[in-house]
Amino acid sequence: MKSFSFAVLLFAFIAVGCAHAPQVASSSVSPPASPQPQPTLAASTSDEAPQKPPEATVKSPEKPANPEKGTANDDTSLDYKEEAKGEQAPAVADPIEPFNRAMFEFNDKVYFWLLKPVAQGYKAVVPEEARVSVKNFFSNLGFPIRFVSCLLQADVSCAATEVGRFTVNTVWGIGGLMDPSSGKDLNLQKQDVDLGQTLGVWGVGQGFYIVWPLVGPSSARDSIDIAGEYFLYPPSYMSEIAPWYVWPIIRSYEEVNSTSLRIGDYEALKDAAIDPYLAVRDAYVQYRWKKVMKKGTPTEELAPGGVRLER
Amino acid sequence: MKRLFVGSSILMIFLITSAVYAGGPLEAVKINADQVLDILRDPKLKAASAKEAKKDKLRVIYGNMFDEVELSRRSLGMNWNKLNAAQRQEFVKLFEQVLEKAYADRILAYTNEKIEFLKESMVSGSMAEVRTRVVTASKEIPITYRVILKGGAWRVYDVVIENVSLVQNYRTQFNDILAKNTPEQLLEILRKKVKAQ
Repeated sequence: MKSFSFAVLLFAFIAVGCAHAPQVASSSVSPPASPQPQPTLAASTSDEAPQKPPEATVKSPEKPANPEKGTANDDTSLDYKEEAKGEQAPAVADPIEPFNRAMFEFNDKVYFWLLKPVAQGYKAVVPEEARVSVKNFFSNLGFPIRFVSCLLQADVSCAATEVGRFTVNTVWGIGGLMDPSSGKDLNLQKQDVDLGQTLGVWGVGQGFYIVWPLVGPSSARDSIDIAGEYFLYPPSYMSEIAPWYVWPIIRSYEEVNSTSLRIGDYEALKDAAIDPYLAVRDAYVQYRWKKVMKKGTPTEELAPGGVRLER
Repeated sequence: MKRLFVGSSILMIFLITSAVYAGGPLEAVKINADQVLDILRDPKLKAASAKEAKKDKLRVIYGNMFDEVELSRRSLGMNWNKLNAAQRQEFVKLFEQVLEKAYADRILAYTNEKIEFLKESMVSGSMAEVRTRVVTASKEIPITYRVILKGGAWRVYDVVIENVSLVQNYRTQFNDILAKNTPEQLLEILRKKVKAQ
């Protein structure tokens, strides 16, 4: 089993080594690919085109009814001008898109047919406070991964914060069920770090995008966290002291619990998407990129002009 | 009498400065967010049958809060320039409907979350970011509103949830679709999506 993880690690490193090559390849491939379907498809739409413009002209008179909208509407004549891309996550290479799309479908079915119904049943029985406590407990067990990541980023305050959190939450938080350290008095916030992100901070690119079955969206670089979990996540060591099936049960329970706290998030993203696969891929890339850029998150305090609203 | 005069002039200064401040990006977002919360809290609209009435009210706020043309233009990016005037207008309308169908129910389902307005930061003279945070029992979701100043009003043109920009997310999808299809076909895809939902 350890040799398998080593293989994954090795694979991740090798794949990341050629990080930017596939990206260039895919972008140069896509333009020649696109003109091919275009002529045939364009022919089919040219039939529809004459039917549609009347609809658009019928709709437009509604707009000026609202004067504010009227001014905004004139704006449509302005062309889009490219802006500086400083704040934008780079696109990711996706050379194995057909495989990824198949895995995306598989994970989608697992979510809707298995994970979600179970999580809904669980949510109906267990109160939210308890589920948050369970989440805190598992999060506390993630300490070794975060601690090692902090050290590998040579971020002493990050590592110290994690040690402080682990100690306080384990002792005073009843084995990690509660999270007193992130309260106002101690203000030790969970460090938003992991191994893939550490590689990113070192300057390693994403490599290519990959959707793992059950695990979900990842990249060549971020797949190191699958290995990291095996070596640094305490529940992985259950197989040493308990029958083999105990670890998958614990892991599944953790997944059901965390899913019960975020039912609806994936559905909303999927509903809003024109192409759900691309929406999830882009969300993943943006999220990971920002996480690398930020190198851990100091949580923001309310600014003097800030306001707290209650719902 | 003198004291009253001094007191009232201090009061006036406060009133004037706060009136000026009300024109800021954070204030612009907050005023609209407050109105949304008022609608969600309104006891008269609690009944399930009032859902459509609530949606109508939310739509009005959305119109004031968002610059949907700017949002559409940026979501299409360079592809926006490929659309003709009629296609652009239809795209703006369809895109708005897609967003409404996806998010309206989700906003109406909110119950006991808190919104914290953290800070505003100017990106340029006419663009700014307003950082907020939605706090639920189990998590904190950072939401940044990107706003643009047009005609004296700050309007939202992008929403960044958990570091994921809505505009960029759609741009990735539209880029891919328009690499293989014509603008007219994209509109057809959107029409079908609006009808299906």
